[in-house]
Amino acid sequence: MKRPLPKLRPTAWDGLVVLCVAALAVALAAFQWQGGSSQGLTAVVSIDGAEADRFALQDLLKSPRTYTASGYTLEVAAALRGDASPLDHVKSNGELGLQVAHSDCPTQDCVRIGAITRSGQSIVCLPARFILRLEGGTPDPDSVDAVLG
Amino acid sequence: MKLTTKQLTLCALLAAMALALSYLENLFPLSLAIPIPGVKLGLANIVTVFALYALGLGEACFILLARCFLGALFAGNLNALIFSLLGALSAMGAMALLSRRRGLSIYGVSIGGAAAHNCGQAAAAVLTLGSAAPLYYLPVLLAVSLLTGGLTGLASACLFQGLRHTDLMKG
Repeated sequence: MKRPLPKLRPTAWDGLVVLCVAALAVALAAFQWQGGSSQGLTAVVSIDGAEADRFALQDLLKSPRTYTASGYTLEVAAALRGDASPLDHVKSNGELGLQVAHSDCPTQDCVRIGAITRSGQSIVCLPARFILRLEGGTPDPDSVDAVLG
Repeated sequence: MKLTTKQLTLCALLAAMALALSYLENLFPLSLAIPIPGVKLGLANIVTVFALYALGLGEACFILLARCFLGALFAGNLNALIFSLLGALSAMGAMALLSRRRGLSIYGVSIGGAAAHNCGQAAAAVLTLGSAAPLYYLPVLLAVSLLTGGLTGLASACLFQGLRHTDLMKG
């Protein structure tokens, strides 16, 4: 059954659709993107829905790790988000995290998305059916627990 | 659903155009700017919106299913079928409902369809990977759907404007 032909100029009701979509995006972001911890993190690798590896983030500083998933090879390496200090005795300002440094998957989204540094964040590679997720962690000593008064 | 030869030919032409648009948008990979799995312009949605208004819900579903199955077959990737099917059917369901609201223009319908498409694809990723991790990207995908839905709405509006005086729009 045909519908009456549509209005071709935006209406106020379209604004309501935009508001609903934006509200859903903000609500989901607020629920999922709560600032996670960046200290003492554990990385969890899942391939084909099953956990394939679990390691402390610090372990990645020794050497990168390579995984084969659905015929693709992905290399996971340590990454620093923020400012790195060029001097050994000065602490870097950035957060230690991890990234997919190399992948031979066709989309390369997993590489381009860059580093993740906080618990709850993840990198998904759909062609490889590969998920890299950061978990756990201790509360950030610099973070504010509560503001009173 | 009984189709006349003219309707069947039109459906086949629109399915072919939808397939061509799906391939064409690979030349403009939105994921280069926003590197998130599932980000795309959704140009084939222009055909779905057009078919929904110009032909009807049944014919639009027929074109949509032909596009999903043939697209997966030509790409040689049947794993992608669940993504395109869930995304496309979610978009179609949302647009079929929204198009009944007289107050909405083609822009509102198209934006609603784009948002539903991303929700459907995120659901497909959750089902396929057996993890809720892909939902992490959904807020960004929804925000992007405001832009892509607006663009496909604009393209559809231009299409209807251009075809307004043809026999196609008069039935």
